[in-house]
Amino acid sequence: MECRDLLKKLCSINAVIGREDAAAQAISGILSDYCDEVRVDAFYNVIGLRKGQGENPRNVLVSAHYDQIGLIVTGIDENGFLRFTNMGGVDPKTLAAMEVTVHGRRDLHGVIGSKPPHLIPPEDSDKPVKLEDMLIDIGYGAEQARELVSVGDVVSFRFPVLELKNNRMAGRSMDNRSSVAALVEMLKELERIRHRDNVYAVATVQEESGLVGAFMTSWNLKPDLAIAIDVCHGDMPDAPSDESFPLGKGVAIAVGPILSRKHTRACIKLARQEKIPYQIDAEEKDTGTEAAVYSSALEGIPTLLLSIPAKYMHTAVEMVSLDDIGAAARLAARYIAFRDELDQEGDSND
Amino acid sequence: MFDTISMLVNAFGPSGRENRVAEVVTQMIKDKVDEISSDAMGNLIAVKKGSGKKIMLAAHMDEIGLIITTIDDKGFLRFGTVGGVLPLISLGQRVVFENGLTGVVWYEESIESMKDAKIDKMYIDIGAKTREQARELVEIGDMAVFEGRPVEQNGLIISKALDDRVGCAILAELARRCPATDNEIYYVFTTQEEVGLRGARTAAYAIRPDLAIAIDVTRTGDTPKSKPGAVSLGEGPAIKVKDNSVIAHPRIRERLVDCARENGIPFQFEVVDKGGTDAGSIHITAGGIPSGGVSIPTRFIHSASEIVDIKDVENAARLLEAFIKF
Repeated sequence: MECRDLLKKLCSINAVIGREDAAAQAISGILSDYCDEVRVDAFYNVIGLRKGQGENPRNVLVSAHYDQIGLIVTGIDENGFLRFTNMGGVDPKTLAAMEVTVHGRRDLHGVIGSKPPHLIPPEDSDKPVKLEDMLIDIGYGAEQARELVSVGDVVSFRFPVLELKNNRMAGRSMDNRSSVAALVEMLKELERIRHRDNVYAVATVQEESGLVGAFMTSWNLKPDLAIAIDVCHGDMPDAPSDESFPLGKGVAIAVGPILSRKHTRACIKLARQEKIPYQIDAEEKDTGTEAAVYSSALEGIPTLLLSIPAKYMHTAVEMVSLDDIGAAARLAARYIAFRDELDQEGDSND
Repeated sequence: MFDTISMLVNAFGPSGRENRVAEVVTQMIKDKVDEISSDAMGNLIAVKKGSGKKIMLAAHMDEIGLIITTIDDKGFLRFGTVGGVLPLISLGQRVVFENGLTGVVWYEESIESMKDAKIDKMYIDIGAKTREQARELVEIGDMAVFEGRPVEQNGLIISKALDDRVGCAILAELARRCPATDNEIYYVFTTQEEVGLRGARTAAYAIRPDLAIAIDVTRTGDTPKSKPGAVSLGEGPAIKVKDNSVIAHPRIRERLVDCARENGIPFQFEVVDKGGTDAGSIHITAGGIPSGGVSIPTRFIHSASEIVDIKDVENAARLLEAFIKF
């Protein structure tokens, strides 16, 4: 499958934080085409293994979380409207007039209502609507709604994947299915290269609510090297230039205190040698990604963080470039395969 | 149940100083379990042996409190907080130290608005006239807890520290009933929940259970102009869907629902944005421990007058008894 179609397929899967059980089989099916074995753990982390072909293979973990932000039903009112709160970082002002799927007893189409401008008093017209004042309308009255929907059911956003010019794709859940696409593209690349090490390609859960899957994965696999793939902010008007990266200009390689200096330097060197487009992402804190967990898990796992620039993060119109996904995949695969052959001259052992 | 709860809430036990609560629990259950021991964090772990699944039930022993930071030359005590203490509801409260000394929390009357009544504008008066006199009774680092003796009224219990001695009481009751099951049950009375779910983390690491349930309190939405959507007092224990520290494992949540339905036990769902429970640290320990929660709807959490409905407490015990037998 071409990367474009793979990404579309991945974005069509629903895995709202904590309910990855609904999606684990689909993710497992996609990974299994390129792995020697795939298993799903008790928390629905999907763990693919591509065995190494060399002597004394080490274990490399490459992870991309597959959970997505969404909403959760907190109540059903007397008219059948659903109250909700956020699952993960949702900006309330992006929700009005959104189409949603309520994952109740069966999947139900719904909309988040928004009061027409005609009915809003002028003094309130500039005021943002609060999350607790919004409601989902599924078209049913209270009795039918209560039969089909329960407090605690999750809600996903409905938005088609848009193919834009310049290899750009937009839609919901590009955070982080674009990284899952990179994970799969990396496995494809590894089919064409001989590699010594075992590669654990893991689609992890509940990243958006506390990096949960990374805690389990690092403990259970005890890898020698961890590579986290996630999205970073794409460059957009008014975005701070040191925290956002232009789309189509390559994978962002993170540099910072929690990341392995040795591996990061070698990785940058490889990108230069292989002419893989890259950008440098300076992360002075813990990165807020799974890399934060890996770097301090067990005895400490040397960790790399590769990011795909995504504009409009945590909205239904997140935008990425297929070129950056390809660059991330190529760099991860080639680093895993060729890291021992890189000229380490002048590098310290840290 | 009220007597059990009374004995537990009356024990002094802010975070890090839970030993008196542990002593009360030990006396209640030691004859009914196969092993009982404390670990380095002060967690009390009681085991009923079995050959089936290892199930960890966790309730925290610690309560919120105040900690003395400085003593001024007139004998007034300045303090910091241990856990989530709200400044405004601390005002005018009586507090009690471990040695039985009583103090009163008041504020600097020069402040212009009660909104400015932050903790650093407040003090504890123990009636001492000088720093020296005060230091004969207390020392910097000593902790105090709210006074608020337990009362039973209209089927409700009003008391301080129901968060989470009510959970401890449910576990103690359950241990005393000795439910017939092949599963190995770990009754774990944890420490330092209020300051970061700390005790449960080491206890779960040591036990490595197959699954875990945290028993704690959850806020209600049934008081005047409270937020809609939350649970109500007296309508059954709440089965946790999510809080700010954990999303309940879907299979555990479903099993709890099945147990409630099969036994005709009323229940509600807990979906909250704020607050955490021991399940938050347990579920990410040692490669992942599927975890859930059973919560007691509670009004006025973290005040000296928390309120629970005794029916909810009893139904929570029934629900857990059914759950651990599967």
